[in-house]
Amino acid sequence: MSNDARVPGTGDRPVVEFTFAGRTVSAFAGDTIAMALWAAGERALRASSAAGAPRGVLCNMGICYECLVVVEGKTVRACTTIVEPGMNVQRGGKP
Amino acid sequence: MSERVLTADVGIVGAGPAGMAAANVCALAGLSVVVLDEGHRAGGQIFRQLPPGASGTAIAEPPSHHHGHELLTTFSHSQVALRSGATVWDAKPGRLWFEQDGASWLLRCERIVLAPGAYDRCIPFPGWTLPGVLTAGALQVMVRGFGVVPGKRALVAGSGPLLLPTVTALLSAGVEVVGAVEASSRWRALRALPGVLGNGARLREAFWYARQLLRAGVKLQWGWTIVRCEGDGRVQRATIARVDGEGRPRPGSERTLEVDVVGAGFGLVPSIELGLHLGCTSRWNAARGGHCLVVDREQRTSVAGVWAAGEACGIGGAEVAAAEGKVAGHAVVASARGGHVPLLALAKAARERRSSDAMLGAFAPLPGLHELARPDTIVCRCEDVTLAVAQQAAALHGPSARAIKVGCRAGMGPCQARICGPSLQALASRDGARAMDVPVVQVPLKAVRASTILEAPAG
Repeated sequence: MSNDARVPGTGDRPVVEFTFAGRTVSAFAGDTIAMALWAAGERALRASSAAGAPRGVLCNMGICYECLVVVEGKTVRACTTIVEPGMNVQRGGKP
Repeated sequence: MSERVLTADVGIVGAGPAGMAAANVCALAGLSVVVLDEGHRAGGQIFRQLPPGASGTAIAEPPSHHHGHELLTTFSHSQVALRSGATVWDAKPGRLWFEQDGASWLLRCERIVLAPGAYDRCIPFPGWTLPGVLTAGALQVMVRGFGVVPGKRALVAGSGPLLLPTVTALLSAGVEVVGAVEASSRWRALRALPGVLGNGARLREAFWYARQLLRAGVKLQWGWTIVRCEGDGRVQRATIARVDGEGRPRPGSERTLEVDVVGAGFGLVPSIELGLHLGCTSRWNAARGGHCLVVDREQRTSVAGVWAAGEACGIGGAEVAAAEGKVAGHAVVASARGGHVPLLALAKAARERRSSDAMLGAFAPLPGLHELARPDTIVCRCEDVTLAVAQQAAALHGPSARAIKVGCRAGMGPCQARICGPSLQALASRDGARAMDVPVVQVPLKAVRASTILEAPAG
């Protein structure tokens, strides 16, 4: 986890590790999947329904469903789902 | 499976300033209160709190946020039962069905206060679907809610009072703001000034933002808009241009900026879906963000037992929301215990509405912004519908929201037209000034798991 991805003083929380598309990502407890991935440099979270174009976080508050990812077989909004240790997160597809 | 049913005197949807203010009044009067909120901590989008354990002293806050801290402190010390991470997906008077942690719940409550807030208004432009192009609100949540640095070089673009807090959030995260463009003209803003002058708190707020921008050497460019974003898999360049009085880009005025993040926000849209589903009357008010729930001076909606406060009654900001929430709280207490809403609370809410309406006059909708999208620009992101296809559907089936939806699937995805709906008809019918149809709402009001619907406790 690079320090320049965090505002000073906001990362004094336990570290949580999870995987995204096979890559191990470090986050802080209380991060959403979307914010943990953003801090880790990941921008594209799913492929769009028809064109398969990369899509990422848009509203960051659970409205737009653009950041859909798959966690343990269930499709969830990355921006409203808190990371848990060992979570296996895959890119989302068609909403 | 055990029945997941809660009972309370009052059910409040939303833990932003309006919901917290209403809850605080009701709890103080001894009513049992359950607050359902989709966020992970109280505060709503405006008083977003960092996750537990994080301090975040580096993040600058405007003076008005002190009032937010007071609301939060009272709220967290009250007897209110807050249900965080709760998505309300169905309702009828006296009943709210919600999903929390994947489980299906029912809240039985004789009185409902709607304080669901608002969400960012999106206007499509070429490249707005590129990863790294977000709403203005999304960037604020990123910085103030999670302490995540959005990028190295940012452009903030759009229109409305939300752009300034977005710029200051970026600055306090150490981001270089290479552009801050407001589509409305400086002259329109100056015309709105007299209505705001009487409100000392709002003036202090304006000066605070002006000082933050000055200190960072960032200049808000009035009369400019974003016209497109480009990049390979993520945003790398953003082009801005001067606009005319209608919001149309002036040829030859384009400038391209190297960026790695863009926050685009064209004001806010009141969240009225739950109110509409409950049968509440709405009214079109373009200056206040579109369709708004109609309430009387005591925040009563047209449906007995349902009150509404804050942004759902029209965009007005946190001060309006807190003042109306307080009125709604008193009105609920009066309905349960008798008595009246204090005149001071009513006067305060009316005063805050007046000055926020005056301020919103500075940012009236600019129809020309609806001409930024090109034929191949995606307008419905869920279903990947382009502008050309949406225009074809409108030409073939008519310009109503329902006809466009049937014709090309725009608005049928999981966001349920919250993103495309506020601009879809204007785009498809090539009339940027037209009023939108009342949104069509259906259960589930938000996409939830099938098991949540199947296992819903009977009302």
